[in-house]
Parts: sequence; structure tokens; C-alpha cells
Amino acid sequence: MNSFRYLSPEWTAEAFRRLKEELTPDKMKNVTSSMVTFYENCPDGKNRALYYKFIDGVVADVSIQEGEPPDAEFRISGDYDTFARISRAELGSRAALMTGKLRLHGNMVKALSLSAVVDRMNKVLATIPTEY
Amino acid sequence: MSTMQTDPYFIDFPARIQAIQAEMAAQGIDVYLGSRLRTLSWTVDAFCPWRSYVVIPPDGLPTAFTFVIDAARVGHDSWLGEDHVLGYAPMGGQDQITVVSDLISRYLKGGKGVVGIESGMATYLPEGNLTHHEYERFQEAVPSARLVNAHDIVDRLSLVKDEGTINRFRKASCIVDIGHQAVLDAIKDGGYRGMTETEIAGLAAYAMRKAGSEWEWSFTGGNEIASGYRTSFTGGACTPATRRELQPGEPLMVDLHAMFMLGLGDHAHNYLLGPATPRQRWHAKNFVDLVSLCLNTYKPGVSPSSLADEMMLFAEDRGFAEYMVPGFEHGIGLMGDEWRIGLNDGPFPYWTNPDHVYQPSEMLICAMQYACPEEAIGFRYENPILITADGCEPLSRFRLAIEEI
Repeated sequence: MNSFRYLSPEWTAEAFRRLKEELTPDKMKNVTSSMVTFYENCPDGKNRALYYKFIDGVVADVSIQEGEPPDAEFRISGDYDTFARISRAELGSRAALMTGKLRLHGNMVKALSLSAVVDRMNKVLATIPTEY
Repeated sequence: MSTMQTDPYFIDFPARIQAIQAEMAAQGIDVYLGSRLRTLSWTVDAFCPWRSYVVIPPDGLPTAFTFVIDAARVGHDSWLGEDHVLGYAPMGGQDQITVVSDLISRYLKGGKGVVGIESGMATYLPEGNLTHHEYERFQEAVPSARLVNAHDIVDRLSLVKDEGTINRFRKASCIVDIGHQAVLDAIKDGGYRGMTETEIAGLAAYAMRKAGSEWEWSFTGGNEIASGYRTSFTGGACTPATRRELQPGEPLMVDLHAMFMLGLGDHAHNYLLGPATPRQRWHAKNFVDLVSLCLNTYKPGVSPSSLADEMMLFAEDRGFAEYMVPGFEHGIGLMGDEWRIGLNDGPFPYWTNPDHVYQPSEMLICAMQYACPEEAIGFRYENPILITADGCEPLSRFRLAIEEI
């Protein structure tokens, strides 16, 4: 099976395909929202933003860009290595937030109700064969 | 106050003070100025609802200070007696800064030395850390002394509970169970019709007071009662009772609080007011199964984060993770010691360290919240538990179930 370089355009396209295919609107709680995961200190020294858009529980967009993150309802920021450890299932996203390794920006009450949705997304992303 | 060692509620307060003094000596602290409610309860053994202080010298008995209108009562209730519980008042030479700093000065040689204070922050409003104003005024009053933050001393010593403290909690939980039985007796067979949340809170309070509870101690509104949609606020672990009338077909959350000799009872029990739907029963079974698993999981070596991961995995497998708050505990100790678990050693100052490792004879509230706002249903579980050698002892014994009434 081909593997994809983490956060490359190819990895992002594969993430979009798998999320759209595997997460039904029901599993996504029919949510309409947007989220950015902001990766600081990527191996090439750059920062990258992975942008997700959901409309009525359908994953409508997953895209990657360099530099400053675009606007989104929620932004989760952290070191590249932290996100990589989460993707490799070496670290739980909840534990990363609780220990300050990740930082959430956005309405905490709404985020709390969507935490299971993010867990489901992370589970799907963890299935992508990835080179870090 | 309990001074008989054969009394099941006996606590060796002189030994507690000596333990604090040993820590003070080890850290080079000449005088300890306690101001947090948890410290007052833990050292004075009396309820101190007004701003109070306890001054602990390098040896000998401490002296507590409280608002003069309550000082005689606190002195009566405390093991310290009237000579070591003094009042302060807004008059010359009697304001709290003057009387407390006068005593502190007596323990400082030439006015020099180290004064341990309690500073920090808390989610719990009545925590009682020294305020900025108090800090500045005390520093002015003892200008040659150095004020250092020393609350870790009391936090560390109070972490593992002694038998007298545990027995006070057991008794408070027995009283809470009496309150729950009174609620059940009142609402069953359609008795809930026409009742309001505040009425449920009141009849439980009456039953618990008859059984010896000193008050419904929780700062979150005493007995927390929620019905219908009010059970389902996201993260909604705080529901002071309202004038809302109970309705058939709705959930009812009954979270009762009793206090016995500063030991705290805190147990939540849930109902479905009939007729219940299959979907409501599905939610109820999810919750009861999760609580049962959680109680079976608590043991020495477990941490808040490891337990949360395990519980959320179970919830995800069963398809109800989105209804759970991913936290399963809050701290508890004698009155004033609520919310944070363990020491102030986590990644976020003055919050529970998610990697705190439980050890035998620690106590906490096993707590979880289930909320499905879109279906206006939610449940809460709270129960003081004692970590034992190989598991945990739930102190409230009211049956674990979501009962259909």
C-alpha cells in the first residue's frame, strides 16, 4: 500500500476522501462548522494549517496551506510532533489538550459537544499510511 | 468537636498541627497564615463562613481569627477553645490586618522571618486564597518579614484521609441516602405531579436535617434538582433547583448534599418520570453501565486521564460518547476542599493534574455527566468514593439505577 507524506497535498486529498467516505452525517452529528488544526514547527521549519469544513454533517472540504491559519470556528494549535504522535496513536488528543500540548480556540461549550466527532475524525486519519 | 479517641469521628488535630509545624521547620517557615476555607476546616474543625485566618506558630497551638459576630460560636465548636479563636472587627486595633499581624509579629524575631501564606486561584469561589489587598497590608504590617506561598504543606498533608475523616464522610453519605429515600417516597406512584424542583430540594433537605445534616453545603445551590431539558445542558454539572414543575415523560436529576462534622455527602440519583420511551431507556442503560464500569475501575494506580480514556472508549464503542463529559471525578475533603484533586502539580496551575495517581485512603467524588440536549435528557452521577487497597468504596449506598416512576 502507498504511504503519504504527512500534511502533503496527497495526504490531504486522501484524508478528505476517507473522511467523506467513512463519516456519515449521523456520525458527524449533522454539524455545520469549520476547524483548523495549526501545525507549528513542521520538519521544514514552516507552519501549516489543515482546514476542515462541515456542512450538515458532510465533510465539505479538507485543505492544507502554509503560513497563518485561515479563519474557522475552532482552531487547535500545537507542535507538529504533538499532532504526529496523536496520529500514530502514541498520545490521545484529549490528553494533549489537558496537558497544554494542544491549545483550543473557540467556544468551549460547543467544542465539548463535538469532542466525540473529532475523536472519530482522528480515528479515520490514523488509518492513512503516513510517513512523518 | 470530638475529643474522645474512641469516637469514630475523632480526628487528632494536635497531631495535624504538629505535622504542619514539622513541614514549616523543614521549609524554614516561622509562621503559617492560613486563609483558605479548606485549611480552616482541616485545622480548626469548625465551620467558618466568614473571612477567617489561622495563624500557626512554630510550636504550640494555633490561633484562629474570624468576624467577631461569629467568634464565640467558632470557639465553642472548635477543639481550640475560646482562647485560641479570636474575633476581629472594624474598630481601632481590632481590624483583621492588625490583630492577625500583631500575633504573627510575636513569632518573628526582631520582626524578621518567613511567613507562609496561601495564594493561588481556584474554580471554587469560596476557596479563600489571600487577596492582593490582604497580601499588601500584611506585608506592610510585617515589613521585615518575607511572605512565601506555602499552601502545598496543607494540601500534601490532607491528601490521604484518616479514619475519623472517612467516618464523617460515611455518615454524611448515609444521611444523603435518607434524603434520596424521602424523595423516592414522595414522587413515586404519581406523587411528583404538581411538584417543583425547589420542592424536591426542600423535602430532601428536611429529611436530611432530621437525620442530622448540618446544611446542604454545596455552593452550587444546595440540593441540585433538574427536570426535563434542564438535565441536558452541555457539560451541565451545576443545576440549582428552579420553580419548574415536574412533568410526565421527562427525566429528573436529584443531586443531594449533606454535611456531618464538616464531612460532605454528595450523591446524585436519576429518574425517568413515566411513561418512558425505549430511547430514554437506551440512554439510561448507557449511563448506568458506564457508572458501574467506572466504579469497578477506580483503584490505586489509576489516574484521571487513564480512567477518562477507558470510559470514553467504552462510550464510543456503545455509541454514546458524544453525550459524555470526558471527566469522571472532582476532589473532595472537609468543608471548603472541593474540586481540585491532589496537589498543585499539573500542567495548568490550580487544576487537577490529569496524571495524578490515586493511592489508598484518598477520597474523591466519582462524578460523571451525560447530556443529550437535542433529546432534552441527561443524567448525573456523583458519589464520594474512598480508594482502597484494591478498588474503591462508594460511600453512598443508594441503589445504582435510573428508576422509572
